[in-house]
Amino acid sequence: MRNFDYYLPSTTSEAQDVLKKVKGARAKAGGTDLMGLLKDRLTAPDSVVSLDNVGELTGIKERDGGVWIGATTTIATVAANKTVHRGGEAVAEAAARTGTPLIRNRATVGGNLCQRPRCWYFRHPDYPCSKKGGETCYAQEGENKYHAIFDNVTCNIIHPSNLAPALWAHDAKIHVLGANGKTRDIGIDEFWVLPEEDMSKETVLEDGDLVTGVTYTPGGRSSGSAYVEVREKQSYDWALTNAAARIDLSGSRVKDVRLVISAVAPVPMRREDAEAVLKGKAFSEDLAWKAGEAAVADATPLRDNKYKVRLLKATVAHTLIAAAQRAKGGK
Amino acid sequence: MSEHVTATYRVNSEGRTIAHPAHHTLLEVLREACGLTGTKHGCELGECGTCTVLIDGEPQLSCLVLAREVEGAAIDTVEGLEGRDLHPLQKTFADLGAAQCGYCTPGILMAAKALIERKPTPTRADVCEALSGNLCRCTGYIKIIEAVEWAAALCRGESGARPADASLYGVCKEKPHG
Repeated sequence: MRNFDYYLPSTTSEAQDVLKKVKGARAKAGGTDLMGLLKDRLTAPDSVVSLDNVGELTGIKERDGGVWIGATTTIATVAANKTVHRGGEAVAEAAARTGTPLIRNRATVGGNLCQRPRCWYFRHPDYPCSKKGGETCYAQEGENKYHAIFDNVTCNIIHPSNLAPALWAHDAKIHVLGANGKTRDIGIDEFWVLPEEDMSKETVLEDGDLVTGVTYTPGGRSSGSAYVEVREKQSYDWALTNAAARIDLSGSRVKDVRLVISAVAPVPMRREDAEAVLKGKAFSEDLAWKAGEAAVADATPLRDNKYKVRLLKATVAHTLIAAAQRAKGGK
Repeated sequence: MSEHVTATYRVNSEGRTIAHPAHHTLLEVLREACGLTGTKHGCELGECGTCTVLIDGEPQLSCLVLAREVEGAAIDTVEGLEGRDLHPLQKTFADLGAAQCGYCTPGILMAAKALIERKPTPTRADVCEALSGNLCRCTGYIKIIEAVEWAAALCRGESGARPADASLYGVCKEKPHG
């Protein structure tokens, strides 16, 4: 790891000032991802701006019908928070399944959304892959067991954040303070960038932008949400597939539904075709499996990850069934 | 670019003022500047847990924390575990042989200490969850889990019977080879 100038501001505007004035400065929250990138020399900024002392970026508050989570709130805090458990079940579950207790005690919500992909070719300093500005996606013909089964044309990374699909199922907005000092809200559906659009980044954030928090809409009385993740190891593993769903019921009829899948494409994906299978109909397990079928219909798996298609179908069905169960009052 | 920073750390209740490069991790400062080599250097990426220390009582990975960020915090390492006597965790780990190569042990002891302090009567699931970020490639974990449960009982002031022998193969009353 290369040495860098280190800044420890205590307010958001001070942090913003440094990010604006110091060229190439990188914001750092928990650092559980950034430290790995620095050590592997995938990034080597001259300056790092720690958000550790920016108290205003930490906390969980109910605000105008939504739940605001500050960007530097730790994942452990989210997983244990009563407000999140009540009405944001998918978010609580996704937080609880992130990393390990040791990671969750340090890693933050903002960092979770902005972390770089885990593709082993991208993370390996010796592979000049397309994501790093090279010409080849080594996963296309190489070891691609854990790679994308959708949108896998130019780069086969999968989106790594657990919280992203869960927050999307709850129609989250991401709050960003721009380099111009103005704040803006970005709908979580508009936050992600495909490799075809811009290979150098995974989100729409520009240099100098700072994620200050996220606000999601908790479910009401006849609503339930769930997050399901499948992985090879019970403890500390990355998802092979995951899905988050929120279902609003009217009696046994599905009034509204959000289904978001992840770990299967470079970005999390809302599956409206699968939602349409359920919308307006009486919920049943059979219907959940049909929605699972619809969610994988256009998958384009690679040589070693065909198993992910079947796994995703089941992940979707189980997620929808768990969400519907909660909506019926079986929380 | 600033070469060194000077900071004061509170390690095992002792203040230490240290000059080190700004980009050094807590792990580097503990091992190289403080000479506290009980905390081990493993994967360097937060995957193995052997560098676990307590920061204000919470188990965290010292390889992923910039030392500067914990200035003023209470840092506890395995060296501070022993008081006048061995800590119950050290006693039960030794008695049960809950280590083979021992490289993961310092991290596991610290993660277990945090668990017992937070939850004096942990279930087996609690122990497994609390240690899920600490890899051990030798033991198969059973002895480690039993040692934590036994130590929790000792910390509660219970006499705490030693877990049954040969528990790896189920409770075995007779020795297989007479």
